[in-house]
Amino acid sequence: MSLFDVKLNTECVVKDIDSNDEKTSLRLMELGVIVGSKIIVKNKSSFKKTLLVFFNSTCFTIKDEIAKSILVNYV
Amino acid sequence: MYKVLIIGNPNVGKSTLFNSLTKSSEHTGNFHGVTVEEKRKIVFLNDEKIEFIDTPGLYSMNTFSFEEEVSKNLILKTNGTRLVLADANSLRRNLYLALQMKELNLDFKLLINNYDYFIKKGGNIDLNKLRIFNSEVEIIDAKHVCLFEKKSKKIFKNAKKTQKNYEFKLNFNDFQKKSSFFVQEYLIDFVKKVKLKYNLNDETIVRAFNGIFDNLSEEQIEFIKRFNKEIVSARYQYLDKVLNDSITTKKDYVYGASKWDKILLKPIFMFPAFLLFFFLSIYIIFFALGPLISDFLIFILDKLIMTPFLNLMYSISSNIWLIEFVKSGVFSSINTVLSFLPQVCLLFVFLTLLEDSGLIARLSFIMDDFLSFFGLNGKSIYIILMGLGCNTMSTAASRNADNKNLKIKTALINPYISCMARLPVYVIVASAFFGAKAYFVVVGLYLLGLMVALIMALILNKTILKNKSSNLLLEFPALRGVDVKHIYTVSKINAKDFISRVFGVVLSVGIIVWILTHTTFSFAYTEFVTDSILYFFADKLAFLFAPIGLNSAGIVTALIVGIMAKELIVSTLSISNNVASNTALIASLTAATSVVHFNMASAVSFLVFTLLYCPCISNLAVLKKEVGTFYMWFAIISQLTTAYLMSFIFYQGITKGIVYPIITIIVATIILLAIIYIIKKVKHPKCLTCNKCRK
Repeated sequence: MSLFDVKLNTECVVKDIDSNDEKTSLRLMELGVIVGSKIIVKNKSSFKKTLLVFFNSTCFTIKDEIAKSILVNYV
Repeated sequence: MYKVLIIGNPNVGKSTLFNSLTKSSEHTGNFHGVTVEEKRKIVFLNDEKIEFIDTPGLYSMNTFSFEEEVSKNLILKTNGTRLVLADANSLRRNLYLALQMKELNLDFKLLINNYDYFIKKGGNIDLNKLRIFNSEVEIIDAKHVCLFEKKSKKIFKNAKKTQKNYEFKLNFNDFQKKSSFFVQEYLIDFVKKVKLKYNLNDETIVRAFNGIFDNLSEEQIEFIKRFNKEIVSARYQYLDKVLNDSITTKKDYVYGASKWDKILLKPIFMFPAFLLFFFLSIYIIFFALGPLISDFLIFILDKLIMTPFLNLMYSISSNIWLIEFVKSGVFSSINTVLSFLPQVCLLFVFLTLLEDSGLIARLSFIMDDFLSFFGLNGKSIYIILMGLGCNTMSTAASRNADNKNLKIKTALINPYISCMARLPVYVIVASAFFGAKAYFVVVGLYLLGLMVALIMALILNKTILKNKSSNLLLEFPALRGVDVKHIYTVSKINAKDFISRVFGVVLSVGIIVWILTHTTFSFAYTEFVTDSILYFFADKLAFLFAPIGLNSAGIVTALIVGIMAKELIVSTLSISNNVASNTALIASLTAATSVVHFNMASAVSFLVFTLLYCPCISNLAVLKKEVGTFYMWFAIISQLTTAYLMSFIFYQGITKGIVYPIITIIVATIILLAIIYIIKKVKHPKCLTCNKCRK
C-alpha cells in the first residue's frame, strides 16, 4: 500500500521507497522518510492530488506522484 | 578578509541572522525559498574586515535546484567560518546537512534558532549532549543577535576546532559482505574526491559515469539504489541515537501544524477569505487609505519644496526653457510617481502580512491541484503574489522551481501579473473615465493579468515546456502573529527601492523624454509637443496602433518609454499634456484639446496594453539571465502579441460590438493551434518507432 491510499489521521510506518524516480526518492529519504519512520496523512486537497503529511516532527505537502512512491504499513 | 558563511535548511532564519549581524534589510519571509541567491555584506569588527555571506537554503549536499547548487559551491569553496543555522523545532532534519558536511571534513559552528518556540511547545535540548561533532553549539535568537556582543564575537573567532571526538563514520562493511558483486567503498570515496577537486556537481558526475553504468545488470542497479538508501539510513540512525539522548519533546509534537489548519486548509473557507483579503487590500491601498496619504505627501512636497523652488527660479531667471524644464520636466516626473509611494508601501504591508503569517504555504497546498492543471504547482502562488509587487523580483525567484521547464514557464508568465509600477497608470486612466467605478476596473485588470498568465502557462505546458510531473514537496512553516517591526522593515526597503528608481530611472529618462518632447529638429525649444522630435517619430509608428485605438503619437511615446519602466508612462503623459499634478492629468486625459487624450474604448485598450506588454527593461535583463536569450525574445514577442490581441478584442468589442472580438478569438485560436501543431511536428518528426506514428 502506498501513502497515497492511506486514510486520514492514521499512523503508518514506511516500509520502502520505490526508487523509480531516483532523484525524488533520494530527496524524500534525505528529508527523513526512511524505512521505519512514522508518517501520518493529515489532509488531502480537494482533488486529492496533494497530501499534507506529518513526518520527522515537521509538516510537509507532497504530490500524489511522490506519495505513491512511499510504501507503508499501518501501525 | 575574514569570511563568515551562513548555511542551513530553507526557512530556518538565515536571512534574519544575516540582517541582525550586518544591520541589513534583506528580504526575509516565513516561506521556503525566499533567498534565491547569495547576499554579501562587509562589516568592520575591531578594525578587522568580516564579509558575511547569506546563502539560499539547502537540505542536503546532494543538490536538486539551482539555488541549492549555489549554496553547495559556497560551502565547498569559501574559506572562513561556516555557521550552520538549525531550527530547534526540526533539528533532526536540519542536522542531516551538518552531518554531511562533517563527512567532507568541513568545519562549522552550529547555531540553534527558534528555541523559545520549542520551549513553549514543551521541548528541551541538552546542549552538552548535542555537541556531537565537537563543533561549538550556541542557542541564538536570529532576530536579536548583535555582532558586538561578547557571545557573537566568540562565535566567529573560536569557530575553528578539531574534530577529535567526531565518532560517526559510514560503515558499509556488513552491507558489502551481503552484496553479490563488485562495488567497493573506494568507488564512493573516489567520486567524492573527484567532485571536490574539480568542483563538479552531481549531474556532471552522473554524465561522466553514464557510460559505465549503462551496462549494469538489473541486480547491480538494484544494489546501487539500495546503497543510496543505506547511506541515508545510516546517517539518520546516527542522528536518532544522538538526538534521543539530547532532546525531549512532547509526544506527537509536529512543527508547522496548527489547530487553525482545520479551517485554513478547507478551500471552501480559504478561497473566499483570500479573495476577500485581496479585494479589500486593493480597495484600502488604492481607493481609501492610499490616496489620503498620497494627497498629504503631494501637499507637503508642493508647499515645502516645489512652490518655493519655482518662486525662487522665477525671481532670479527669466529663461522660460529652464523654468519649464524644472517645472514640467523634473518636478512633474517626481511628483506624479512619488505620489504613489504610500500605495507601494501599503501593498508590501499586505504582501508581508501574507508571507510572514505562514498563510502562503497553506495557500500553496490548496492551490496546488488547480495550478497543476496549468502545468504549475502550489509553490507558484508565492511567485504570483510576489509579482504583484515587482515582476523582476518574482522572475528571479522562479529559479527555485523544481525543474527547468517549470522554472522557464514561471519566468515567462510572470510579467503578465500586474506589478506595482503599473498601478499609477491604472488609477489615473481609470479614474478619468470610470470615476467611482475605477476600483472595479483596477480589480478587473488584476484578474485579467492573472487569467492571461494561467492561459499562457497552459499553452506552454501543452507545447514546448511540458512538465513530466511537478514534484511539490513543501515544508509547512508555523503560523505566526504579526511582527510590526518586520513589516516596517520590508516596507522601508521597498519604499527606498521605489524612491531610488524614481530618482534614478524615472528622473533621468523623464528628463530625456522632456527634452525630446520640447525640442524641434532645429534644436530649438518648443512648448508644443506636436513640433518635437519624439512626436515626429512616434507619429510615424502610430498607424500600427490604429486597430487598437491608440493611434496618437503622444500615447505611442508613453508606451515606448514604458518599456524602460512602467512608472515612466504617467510622467510621460504629464510631460506631453504639460501638467504637474495627478488631478490635472486626470482632467487633461478626457479633454479633446490635450496632446494625449482618450475616449472610453481607447482608455480601456490602453490599460489592457499597459497590463500585458513587457513590464520593464530590468525584467528583460533578469529574464535573459535566468532563462537565456531565446526565451527572453520569446517573452518579448509573446507579450507584445498578447497585449496587442487583447487590446484589439477590448477596443473593437466596445466600439463595434461583440462580433469582432469573437472573430478575433476564433482566428487567434486557429493560428495558435497551427503554431502548436508545427512545434509538435518539429519537436517530434514522423518516426517508425512510436505507436502514435505507426498508426
